[in-house]
Amino acid sequence: MTERVRESQVTKKPRSVRQLAVRHAMPLKIALGWLALLALWEIAGRQQWVAGGALPSPSGILGQLVVDWHDYPEHIRATVRTSLLGFLLGNLVAVLVGFLMASWRPAGRLLSGVNVTLFAMPPIALTPILIIAFDGDAPRIALAALSTYYPTMVATVLGLTRVDARLLDLVRLYGGGRWATLRWIRLRHALPTLLAGLRVAAPNAVLGSLLAEFGSGSGAGLGHYLIGSLGRGDPARLWGIGLVATAISAGFYLAILLLARGWVGRQAPAQESLGGSSGGSMSRASRLLCLAISITLPVLLWWGAVWGLERVGVSSFVLRSPPELVAELFSTMRPESLTSIVGGALAQTVPWCLAGMLVGLAFALLLAIVGTLSPVLGRVLMPLSLLTQSMPLVALTPLIVLIFGRDGATILAITISVTFFPAYVTLAQGMALVPAATLDCVRVLGGSRWREIGLVSLPWSLPYLCAAARLVAPRAFLGVMIAEWLATGTGVGNLLNVARGSLDYGLVWAVVVAAVLVSVLLYLAVTLVEHWVLKRYAMAPAP
Amino acid sequence: MTLSRRRFLQMTGSGVMAGALGWPALSMAQNGQGTPFAMQASWVNDAEFSGYFVAQRNGYYADEGLALDYRPGGPDVIPEGALLSNRAAVALTTVESTLKAVTQQGAPLVVIGTQYQKSPVGIVSLARTPIEKPEDLAGKVLAVPPVNRLAVEAMLAANGMSTDDVRIVPYAYDPTPLLKGEIDASLDFVTNVPYTIQLQGEDAVSFLLYDHGFPVFNDTLVVTRQTLENRRADLLAWLRASRRGWEENFQDPTRYPPLFADSFFAGNGRAIDNEIFFNQAQKPLIESPNGIFSMADADIARCVEALGRIGIDASTEHFDTSLLAELDA
Repeated sequence: MTERVRESQVTKKPRSVRQLAVRHAMPLKIALGWLALLALWEIAGRQQWVAGGALPSPSGILGQLVVDWHDYPEHIRATVRTSLLGFLLGNLVAVLVGFLMASWRPAGRLLSGVNVTLFAMPPIALTPILIIAFDGDAPRIALAALSTYYPTMVATVLGLTRVDARLLDLVRLYGGGRWATLRWIRLRHALPTLLAGLRVAAPNAVLGSLLAEFGSGSGAGLGHYLIGSLGRGDPARLWGIGLVATAISAGFYLAILLLARGWVGRQAPAQESLGGSSGGSMSRASRLLCLAISITLPVLLWWGAVWGLERVGVSSFVLRSPPELVAELFSTMRPESLTSIVGGALAQTVPWCLAGMLVGLAFALLLAIVGTLSPVLGRVLMPLSLLTQSMPLVALTPLIVLIFGRDGATILAITISVTFFPAYVTLAQGMALVPAATLDCVRVLGGSRWREIGLVSLPWSLPYLCAAARLVAPRAFLGVMIAEWLATGTGVGNLLNVARGSLDYGLVWAVVVAAVLVSVLLYLAVTLVEHWVLKRYAMAPAP
Repeated sequence: MTLSRRRFLQMTGSGVMAGALGWPALSMAQNGQGTPFAMQASWVNDAEFSGYFVAQRNGYYADEGLALDYRPGGPDVIPEGALLSNRAAVALTTVESTLKAVTQQGAPLVVIGTQYQKSPVGIVSLARTPIEKPEDLAGKVLAVPPVNRLAVEAMLAANGMSTDDVRIVPYAYDPTPLLKGEIDASLDFVTNVPYTIQLQGEDAVSFLLYDHGFPVFNDTLVVTRQTLENRRADLLAWLRASRRGWEENFQDPTRYPPLFADSFFAGNGRAIDNEIFFNQAQKPLIESPNGIFSMADADIARCVEALGRIGIDASTEHFDTSLLAELDA
């Protein structure tokens, strides 16, 4: 097949310089756009336009990187090692669970509580618990593994189940059983989808490892280096570390991409779902039973983990099992009850979270529209937005604080920076899928580009907007927590930090559980809104 | 990165096992011969812990029959956590946090000595907008790490002020906001930040909380009651070796930091001159006529009284000087 592709490329040789220019116009424009952005950044850095010089110029960052280079190899090795181990461990579990869920339908329902929890929980909330529970590199590996799990699990299930039913019939027709369909159809079909999932999971593993490094006090790793460097008041160094972390993420991503290309060729994962994935054959009673088990399962896992840790000698002073925590929540022994402390903090955090979510979505929508109107601009801005995703926020916080102060503006800025990218990707995908015929319809009748967007693109992408909101809800909560922890000193983010500082482990557990619970509820609330909206407009949910 | 197969298996083996089982013992470094003994420091490797580095380098712990596992700290590491999760025998802690946990949460911890006779925690500001005493803080923005918030409240209360008079924001140990004027002062070790500020072409002024209503120890040596009971000999050995390390270090505070450039201080992100500055500045705060780590009864009493003023109901019972007494005997 590749032979034929190459052949056809050869025959399509451009015939004139003019054609050549047209063919290369787009990449050229994009490259020029990047250069212009870099130049602007350089000038802004040199002239100290931003925040009194707190934004270093690219040349300054590179220069500092060269000067510091002898420090880097050890930290890079540690970060790569822990994220790689976490990546392997998380994927192993994810693929096994994916297999289970694909081959035994009720498993999906039973595990849904655990899966939603793992997807929605804010990783920084989990860090203190992991550091209590594990030692050495283990918290970093664990957080990297947890951050890897969800995308891989989803990809495995999708790959194994969304198979062309006709192919399955064919194998069965020839007398093949479950094994034969797995061997000849499902596994082959799952591989490209799985590799696409791994690509999303890889940068997650790096960020997970970095986040756990902030608290683990280990001697090596980029997160550790970042913290050691904070005290120098040298933004160029901080940006350098952030860029190296970003490069590692990008390296992971590219490695998987190349692996996928080499292994399964350019064959795109089939998105078509043929053959119903109906789960409706269950009785009402067994559905309710499944629901009850799926809600109880995360709690049981927590209980089991605490039990196991006590067995290996972790002091019960730092651990709380579910019943212990409930008892402590309503205990009257404290000067101020845990429920009122945590409730007060949540009352500060949740409104900002909702606001941040809306602004982040609006921002992503705006960028998606800009991307539709001017594809060049969209693709020029893309790497910049990728950067904000994998840069450890701690490196950028001094800058963000200097620009936006220490109030609501900073909370919104940080929340937007963690939410808008996934929202943008989803929305851009939706807008790209608008049928050209419908757009032509507006165009033929004399409608402007704006009318096209207003009348066709936006309504068409409604399911994608809903999917984006669902994706973004837990991240918005994470963003607000980070801002509160690093900049404003308010709400849940700050409470978690203060609770740890004062060794109040009851409060630590209460905050962690509350944060996870609120994230999950937020996610479920958005899902409900999505159902309602899509039902009203009779649309199918975005994949 | 080239890895031999065996090395790779070693790494993956121990890491995955520890990750999967939460097995603390597996990932503990146990180098050298002797009784394994783990200490948890309160911060990343810098001059603050020079004495322990000297003792490691010169083999003082080995002389005492200990195989030391030195665990660095960091901004988010709570040293007492290492004691309570059974990962370290002794930890360097902030005394107000420890005794708050003891008195309010019932943590089974006890203070057996102190590294700093006078806590180096102070208020640092720029010389061109100086804050030289607590009263100057009125209406200003002060950045404070969450662990030290109680200390600031104590200092304000002792000077007839409260947290309503000052805007307190989180501090991430980055002097940039101070240098750019976004905050007016920050709470940090006065043995350290002024150097960084000088490096950036500014002058710093500072005052110690110790001298303004909060006379407490810092980097207190803390153990669990259980360790104090069961591992007396090991604790004595550790105290002896560590004291020897500090005494050697202060013979000439400029001598050792350069020797650690490629070992303990490697990759900590700071210049060796910074460590020398730190080591010199901390000498008068650590040394005591009664010997390094000692806790005089009068100083304990003042510490207890200061803690009482911020609602920590500490008492002299939380300090155990019996090991120090045995050390001197």
